Amino acid sequence: MEHSLVVYHNHLPIFSNDEHWLYPLFELETFLKNHSFLVGELLLQDKIAGKAAACLIVRMGFTQCHIGLLSRRAIPVFEKYGVRYSYDQLVDHIQCRTEDLITDKMDLDETYLFLRKRAGRVQGTPLKIEDLTVTISGKQILQNLNLELGRGEQLIVMGENGSGKTTLLKSILGLLPAVSGKIWIGTEVVGTATWQKNRAESGYLNQEVAGVKFPITAAEVVAIGLTGKKISTAERKYQVELAMRKTRSFHLNTKLFHELSGGEKQRVSLARLLCQNARLLLLDEPTSFLDDQAKRELAELLIELSKNEAPTILVVSHDKEWIQFLNWKTLNLAAGTLC
Amino acid sequence: MLELISYEPILKGLVVLIIAGFAFPVTGVYLLRMNLLPLRFMLMHGAILGGALSLALEANPMFGTLLTNLVLVLVLISTSRYMKSDPGQLSAFFMVVSISLAFIFIYRFHVPAKETMGLMWGSLYTLSSVEFFSAIGLSLFLFIFQALFRYQLRAIFFNADIASTSGVPESRFYYAVILLTALTVAAAMKLVGALLLDALLLLPALIASYHAKSYKAMMLWASLWGGIFAVSGFFFSILWDLPASSTIALIASVTFLIILIKHKS
Repeated sequence: MEHSLVVYHNHLPIFSNDEHWLYPLFELETFLKNHSFLVGELLLQDKIAGKAAACLIVRMGFTQCHIGLLSRRAIPVFEKYGVRYSYDQLVDHIQCRTEDLITDKMDLDETYLFLRKRAGRVQGTPLKIEDLTVTISGKQILQNLNLELGRGEQLIVMGENGSGKTTLLKSILGLLPAVSGKIWIGTEVVGTATWQKNRAESGYLNQEVAGVKFPITAAEVVAIGLTGKKISTAERKYQVELAMRKTRSFHLNTKLFHELSGGEKQRVSLARLLCQNARLLLLDEPTSFLDDQAKRELAELLIELSKNEAPTILVVSHDKEWIQFLNWKTLNLAAGTLC
Repeated sequence: MLELISYEPILKGLVVLIIAGFAFPVTGVYLLRMNLLPLRFMLMHGAILGGALSLALEANPMFGTLLTNLVLVLVLISTSRYMKSDPGQLSAFFMVVSISLAFIFIYRFHVPAKETMGLMWGSLYTLSSVEFFSAIGLSLFLFIFQALFRYQLRAIFFNADIASTSGVPESRFYYAVILLTALTVAAAMKLVGALLLDALLLLPALIASYHAKSYKAMMLWASLWGGIFAVSGFFFSILWDLPASSTIALIASVTFLIILIKHKS
């Protein structure tokens, strides 16, 4: 049987897939992440490709491809990014609704995220909060708070110190009980037995770890994300390395966590969340203890993560300058509710 | 020196000391990382209460201290859960209650003060067979517990909230650690006494925390230091004709001082 998608390295097939639509390309992306091929040296051969497939091919870093049935709309994408292409048959458009939905205004990253969402391959999970009221020591901190965040979306919650930002995150994580209201993470209600089983789907980056003095290496901190997973030592090491490389912190792996700079600690902590395979990232004042350079690097890393891994991200911060740099949707938390 | 080891009570003491020396510092790391130092004082005072009670009832003091500490820990856990209070703070209350009750028992039941005070410096060479095997069993259990749950414990030691959100049942481990600590303190009191048990529990963990370069290294070093102190303390005590527990404590303290000075410089 002829494969839908085949990739060659030095004329030898290294990957093939028979699925339909864009799924073979997403599978190929996963394959390439786990192997150390130089994508520029590979030849991709696909049966059909439109604009959507072209965007994915370009984003993976291919420089040469052969397409059986090629849509004319794919050609500008290949030409813009210098991909050498050939085809058996050229058509004005292919019968695929996805191609019509990609507008010229969308850049490569936006298109990629859009396609991942459409393929249901977004790491993120939706979050829904309904009428949440939380009281601490008799004082009402959150009052009938409502919030909805789609899969792979990002939100920043701003607010002054003591406005309840951390309380909001801890409630979502199930660390603080709610007086009333419900929180859904995906289809699970926080506090239930099924949520408890999948608790690691929500990852938490808090401020307290900045002060940890315990002798623990950066790699050991990242491996905390794998706690409870029954995997071999070799697999554990591989997962840690992969996560640390994604946040450009692998060179710190043997260093003691408490000896790292603020920015390095945040990179390592983000790697921990990736290792955990968290689908909802909750970041509590991540720029505390960071200088301007580290803040900028963290923002760039978060933007990169939001595009590549596409987890749902909720950040609480009162750092207005940094929030502007991220340029994500922002809500203000005041008097116990979001506005 | 070797002649002395051929005596059964001394050999028994040496065997227990070696195994416990390597195992007990594991709980020292737990105490340090989980900020349970006040709890340790409660357990020490609880052990004196248990010892006084046992002597009054002419029962085995080691099991008396063990039982009292278990009861204290269970009461502490339920009270702190019910009152939503910090167990560390509550342990101060139980510490005072324990020692006051201990002295009431000593006074009312005419418990020989010297024997009760014997709990302060331990009695390594008077171990019964049951005490011998209990101490070894506890040491082995500590090793197994640490080996089986090393990843979960590492997460908790790093940050309790992060451990919880990584899927670790943090509160269950917290109570398991408290329970194990209670048992270890009771056993260590019999070996080296209430006043010197830190030489086997805390000092090895503290020293390891100064120079270890990872969590794994800290656990291994704490265990290794404990073993070194126990073995060297035992042989030097025989060589210099000193009490074993004091010699162990002295060697641990001198090592601690040297490492601390080196660390600070």
